[in-house]
Amino acid sequence: MASLQLKQLVKSFGQTKVIHGVDLQVDDGEFVVFVGPSGCGKSTLLRLICGLEEATSGDILLDGQRVNEVRAADRGLAMVFQSYALYPHMTVFQNMAFGLQNIGTSREEVQAKVDGAAKLLQLDELLQRKPTQLSGGQRQRVAIGRAIVREPKIFLFDEPLSNLDAELRVSMRGEITALHRRLGATMIYVTHDQVEAMTMADKIVVLRAGKIEQVGSPLDLYNRPANRFVAGFIGSPRMNFVPASLDRAPAGAQEIGIRPEHLTLTPAPDAFGLAMKVSQVEQLGGHALLYGTLQGGSASVTAQVAGQHAARHDDVVALYAPRAACHYFDASGLRVESAT
Amino acid sequence: MSAVTFLTRTRGRRALDWTDWLSYVYLALGLFLMFGPVLWLVMSSFKTESALTEFPPSFLPYGQKQVMVPGEDKPRPVYRVKLPDGSVRELPELRRIGLMATHVDPARPDEPIRVNINDREPVREFRLATENYSDLGGKFNFGLYLWNSVFITVVATILTLLFNSMAAFALSKYQFRGRGGVFLLILGTLMVPPAIVLVPNFLVVAELGLLNSLWGVIWPAVATPTGVFLLRQYMLTIPDELLEAARMDHASEWRIYWRIVLPLSAPALAVLAIFSTMWRWNDFLWPLIVLSKSEKFTLQLALNAFQGDLVTQWNYLLAMTVITLLPITLVFAFLQKYIAQGIASAGVK
Repeated sequence: MASLQLKQLVKSFGQTKVIHGVDLQVDDGEFVVFVGPSGCGKSTLLRLICGLEEATSGDILLDGQRVNEVRAADRGLAMVFQSYALYPHMTVFQNMAFGLQNIGTSREEVQAKVDGAAKLLQLDELLQRKPTQLSGGQRQRVAIGRAIVREPKIFLFDEPLSNLDAELRVSMRGEITALHRRLGATMIYVTHDQVEAMTMADKIVVLRAGKIEQVGSPLDLYNRPANRFVAGFIGSPRMNFVPASLDRAPAGAQEIGIRPEHLTLTPAPDAFGLAMKVSQVEQLGGHALLYGTLQGGSASVTAQVAGQHAARHDDVVALYAPRAACHYFDASGLRVESAT
Repeated sequence: MSAVTFLTRTRGRRALDWTDWLSYVYLALGLFLMFGPVLWLVMSSFKTESALTEFPPSFLPYGQKQVMVPGEDKPRPVYRVKLPDGSVRELPELRRIGLMATHVDPARPDEPIRVNINDREPVREFRLATENYSDLGGKFNFGLYLWNSVFITVVATILTLLFNSMAAFALSKYQFRGRGGVFLLILGTLMVPPAIVLVPNFLVVAELGLLNSLWGVIWPAVATPTGVFLLRQYMLTIPDELLEAARMDHASEWRIYWRIVLPLSAPALAVLAIFSTMWRWNDFLWPLIVLSKSEKFTLQLALNAFQGDLVTQWNYLLAMTVITLLPITLVFAFLQKYIAQGIASAGVK
């Protein structure tokens, strides 16, 4: 259990700067998710924290202690790798025991700890198997088990679910959050999937090009995105951006952002209308997704409407955007608060 | 598909296509050229000394038939004898003086028959002269040569694997300045013909006092550029994440090498072990230079020394040659899968 603090952390590979002065506070017991498009530096940030990469400048503080110069193993963190990095020639038991054996833990204690972790993750039956004989989800659990036995201060996950199929990903998501509740440990989780971020995190850190764009709880980020990038990244389908000239917008606002799920087909009080030329309709039964472009404009618009919809290609439909659900962004993409 | 149907497959559906003829003739010729001499060697190693010098030579090992005669200690050779009455009988010879030989019928040992040696010819039968092999141990210190060869091969192979894998580990998994340069330097030594380093190597070994010591054969052979190259290429395929995971698991660098990298390089190590075994076992020139005392000889040197200036006991020489070939043959037979894999993966042989 520990807290983590990053102060003006910078990392360059040769001439290329990949982390541009990151400041971050992670509190004890928090589940923090780093999210961002690929190449945004989120994995590098994680590797800096665990000590596999050396920071170019800035401080990493664990429980208030500067650990920049401490070896990866001695920082007391555990990492679950994207590829799981299970030792293929060792059994599940040996994989989980390896770290304990390296620090000279007694045989009985190793046995007890591994058994405990195996029970927690329902791996008891698989202890004598080799990683190649396990399914993706089981390998994932072994990788987590290997982290658990070392009783780390902070768990680090590097895109751990990206190799699993969609169904398994959902169930593993649940398992990891359940594990977090049970252990109460601090966890830092890296993903490029905003759904994972929204469903698991206490706190989401949105990164882009080595900079933090916004830090906050999932709903904070959804309800009050700090800029156009976060607004577009969080939420699925993506937020629509239409020119501010379509409605009365606060001063300085250049664009109006409105989420597809907030658009309606029936006039609502305090809403403005949009005419969309439909290019594609996806019927999902419970709801329908209408894709199209703004009539007389080039902005593409997506609308998620309840129920089933009969719109066809090239139809023009009227959509209504309630002003309460609108976000406004200025020319540089920053959020502009609405007047009300 | 059974082995027979596999081996007898043809291109033509019913009759043999002309390409079938061509391939089978080619294969038969190849088999004869490659395997014929080896087969001849094995057959000859079972012939007695006199059978070896026979002309025309026979393919199968034949020996003269021998039977026990009552009243004699040793078995006597049997001849087909033309008797004065014109009949022909197979009779053992008792003794021979000049042109006359004394034969006897084992059923009636007290009636010797005197025959002119022109009236008889030896009776030959198929017989394996296994004494060529069984005599080796007692007569020629064969056991000692075998031990020397085995010692050099095993120890040199183990050391080769150890040192080459350590070098390969560093060159594949550590980032350091000059890494590429060091690697090129090691590969560059492949371009230097062995004959050129022979004299410098000899001087070093002599200076270290390793002449006439098995270690003088072992040490210079331990570091092989081929081995480093082969292992490095293989280790590059081991994901770095495994090493990082091990580092997070408090493993020391030695432990990472010993517990993670070595076990995972097993296929490449097997290939190098096979190569090293063949190199060391077949090595002739370097042991010949370093080892001059006969009690330090390897099998290859002993074989060479066996060809005396005046007399060569071909039957023993051939038997020893067969024994010398055996280990390599076994290595090839059982590990050919790895050899092919190794050649494919590293492009060397």
